[in-house]
Amino acid sequence: MARTPRRAAAQDERQRDTLHTGFLAYANFRWLKILAVICVVAIASYLLIDITPRHNGGSWYGYTLGTVGALLILWLTMLGVRKRAMTAGGWSLKAWVSAHVYLGLSLIVIATLHTGFQLGWNVHTLAWTLMMLVIASGIWGISVYATLPAALSNNRDERTQAQMLDDIRSLDRQIHEAAQPLPPEEAAIAIASLDQDPFAGSLWARLSGRYPKCATAAALAQLRYGGDDAAMEKLSGLLNRKNAALGRLRRHLKLKALLEIWLYVHVPLTFALIAALSAHIISVFFYW
Amino acid sequence: MTFLIRRISTTADGREIVRTANIAKAQLTLGRDAANDIHLPDLALDPQHAVLTSNDGRHVLVRASGGLRFGLNGQSVSEANIDAGDGAELRFGGHRITVALDGEGEGQAPAIALTILRTDELSHSALDRDEADAFSMRGLLPGRRVSAWAFALLVFAAFLIAPIWAYTSYRGVEERPQGYHADMSWTSGPLSSAHADLSGDCQSCHTRAFEPVTDNACKSCHEDVHDHAPVARQLLARGDPGAWRASLIRIGEMFGRAQGRCVDCHTEHEGAGPMPATAQQFCSDCHGDMNQRLTDTPLGNAADFGTLHPQFRPLVQTLPGDPASMRRVNLAGNVTDQNGLKFPHNLHMQPDGGVARMARNLRINTGGGQGMECANCHRPTADRTRFEPVDMERDCQSCHSLTIENVGGINRTLRHGQPDQVVADLYAFYRSTPPDRPMNLGGMARRRPGQFAEGQVYNIYFRETARRPSRAEDAVRAVFSRGGACYDCHTIYAPGAGSNRWRVQKVHQTSRYMLHGWFDHADHLRMAVPGQASRTGSPACLSCHNADRTATASQLMLPDIASCRRCHGGENSGKAVESPCASCHEYHQGPRAGAPWQPSDERHRRDNDRRREGVTSVTDAILRRLYAG
Repeated sequence: MARTPRRAAAQDERQRDTLHTGFLAYANFRWLKILAVICVVAIASYLLIDITPRHNGGSWYGYTLGTVGALLILWLTMLGVRKRAMTAGGWSLKAWVSAHVYLGLSLIVIATLHTGFQLGWNVHTLAWTLMMLVIASGIWGISVYATLPAALSNNRDERTQAQMLDDIRSLDRQIHEAAQPLPPEEAAIAIASLDQDPFAGSLWARLSGRYPKCATAAALAQLRYGGDDAAMEKLSGLLNRKNAALGRLRRHLKLKALLEIWLYVHVPLTFALIAALSAHIISVFFYW
Repeated sequence: MTFLIRRISTTADGREIVRTANIAKAQLTLGRDAANDIHLPDLALDPQHAVLTSNDGRHVLVRASGGLRFGLNGQSVSEANIDAGDGAELRFGGHRITVALDGEGEGQAPAIALTILRTDELSHSALDRDEADAFSMRGLLPGRRVSAWAFALLVFAAFLIAPIWAYTSYRGVEERPQGYHADMSWTSGPLSSAHADLSGDCQSCHTRAFEPVTDNACKSCHEDVHDHAPVARQLLARGDPGAWRASLIRIGEMFGRAQGRCVDCHTEHEGAGPMPATAQQFCSDCHGDMNQRLTDTPLGNAADFGTLHPQFRPLVQTLPGDPASMRRVNLAGNVTDQNGLKFPHNLHMQPDGGVARMARNLRINTGGGQGMECANCHRPTADRTRFEPVDMERDCQSCHSLTIENVGGINRTLRHGQPDQVVADLYAFYRSTPPDRPMNLGGMARRRPGQFAEGQVYNIYFRETARRPSRAEDAVRAVFSRGGACYDCHTIYAPGAGSNRWRVQKVHQTSRYMLHGWFDHADHLRMAVPGQASRTGSPACLSCHNADRTATASQLMLPDIASCRRCHGGENSGKAVESPCASCHEYHQGPRAGAPWQPSDERHRRDNDRRREGVTSVTDAILRRLYAG
């Protein structure tokens, strides 16, 4: 069927929009609107429905909120399965992620109202706390996804990861060469720099970008007080360049770690949450 | 002497290149310095690291030249004598040198072959690595799958398996030992202060798994709780719950949650502290329009003390007697309580009447008041809730004396409450006490005749003495008749002719008129009716009981509901005292309602208020704190 040019253009436009819209703004914030409706309905019903002596998870209203919350949690967890099978259209992965984000946020309201604000040191509050941590890590994830990729791109300076590593390898070879004429004590400075794994460092070093045990930095500091013969001069220059290359690599690693770390919280805590949720549900009916 | 040097290097694509050189020397130097025979560009080596010497073309002596050692077959040594025929492996920094005898059996002189291979990368960065691994956080943290399983299993073990184990291991145990039990993590909130000591013993209430708490669990401790009403009548009174509630009830019953259990009302795990007071709504759901469903109920509808509550129906004596005939009557209108006493309250309460003057003269009222005070006769019971019956000897007799004579400074009185004894005492009095003997009656000397004539002393005296017994009869009659001591206060039943059996109507003083509600006088010692000045003492009493305007004792002086409503209203009524049903009524009351249950902190506060009343300071420190708290 022939398309009129005008309609074709509109369709292309729409397609481009669809492709370029993020999961947050998906379908003109459809799921944000649904989130708002859920929150308003939940809060209004909480205020209007009279439960004696006071709201708690064990009233009919509490059971309703609890059931909705538990089913939501299980559905949200299914994103892990769903994301491994990509499809397009109304139930595209983007649609799922959008729903995942906003329905996940709605759990803050649903589950908190389910508690009736009765929190304590027990398995029930454990489940609630784990859920809140999972949601908080998700919010963190969204915020870093929104802000960090630009910084990552700036830092890379159009290099690939392999190129960053190759820079260091090349500098290492040059340092090795330049250190050859040096006496053993001074060569040892270079060796320390060469022998250190550029990826080494604790989790904290990775996240903060601070490497106080960096051998290259230590070598530079030592050479600054050393003699000024030509070989040393050269080595010093090379170490300076390696230090810069390492700095770029580490900033890259730091940004990547910040982008990744939330998933190390989000996913395992989700499973802990499902375990706590199961214990919570079984326990309330066990001791009814 | 010739050394055969083979250098093996690897190209970027992994191909090996072997370069061979012969050095015809008996001694070779080895080191990082380019001037050495064997030059190894390895920063780990000394510029002149070692010397290799062979005198016979078979044995090689390796000796370190500087301070650094080298490796021989895995050991670190500074000197080694090697038989090349046996072979050996030397290690200098990142290089491996294999020593062997070469060319043997080919008709030429064998040479010592040294095969040199760089085994270690010259830097760590040069190592092969998987880019995805190296640039991600793998290795820094346990994998997500591993930690997911670990967390989940940990939670399961601590919060599901351990609690179930605690439950099964204490099944059938009367009382759990103190301490932590894993199923305490299942608590949905702290228990109320009444049940706080059961916190560690979940099974004291949750007796069986997956079974709602039963009344039996409650009754194992609360043995003497009365049912509010027969269950069938309660359900009838409750009426149609409506489709929504009915469906909730049906769902509950499907899961074994029967209606009308103790825990329906006495919800637990709602937070530490006293259990919350029962809301008015709980009562008014049934009682608000109960007559529509329980058509035979004698109870009036009640939903809110201020707006819908029946008039009080005190239990009064309709006819005096022993036993008295009692009936509940509506307090609206003029209600009498035939208690058998005559007592004009108004006369006694007049601030400037004769009674007041006498009270002043006798200093009855030590408080310095003008007339009589209520408290002069009405004394509170030990719990200060109600009043002791008025006691004639204690409360009336200081004015209303029954003294008949004074013997040596001691008043001799008629016995109150024993009319037969009064009659007998009066007879005895008149018989044993002749008239005062006139002086001119003379002693035992012989008297002259004529002195017995009418109007003479003898005649007067002895005639009087002879008539003495009938004077007693008159006195008895007088005591029991108008103007007499008994008649003034009591109803008298006169005897028939020839009998002396005077009877006095038994007085029945009611200390509690309303048996199904609770009224505590102690809470009303200070009356602050809105719009009026705060009152204590008799004025406080008079603000409800109109004793100053009541002339007869049978007139019931109980305040009606309108009087109470000046201060009291229902829950959230905005009245000075918001009084839900439970302020006066007890749900589980027996035949005679006790004080309604109150949260313990409220009870303590009231007890302390009572203790502090009228106390300005306490000298003992411990007691002072008690009074303060």
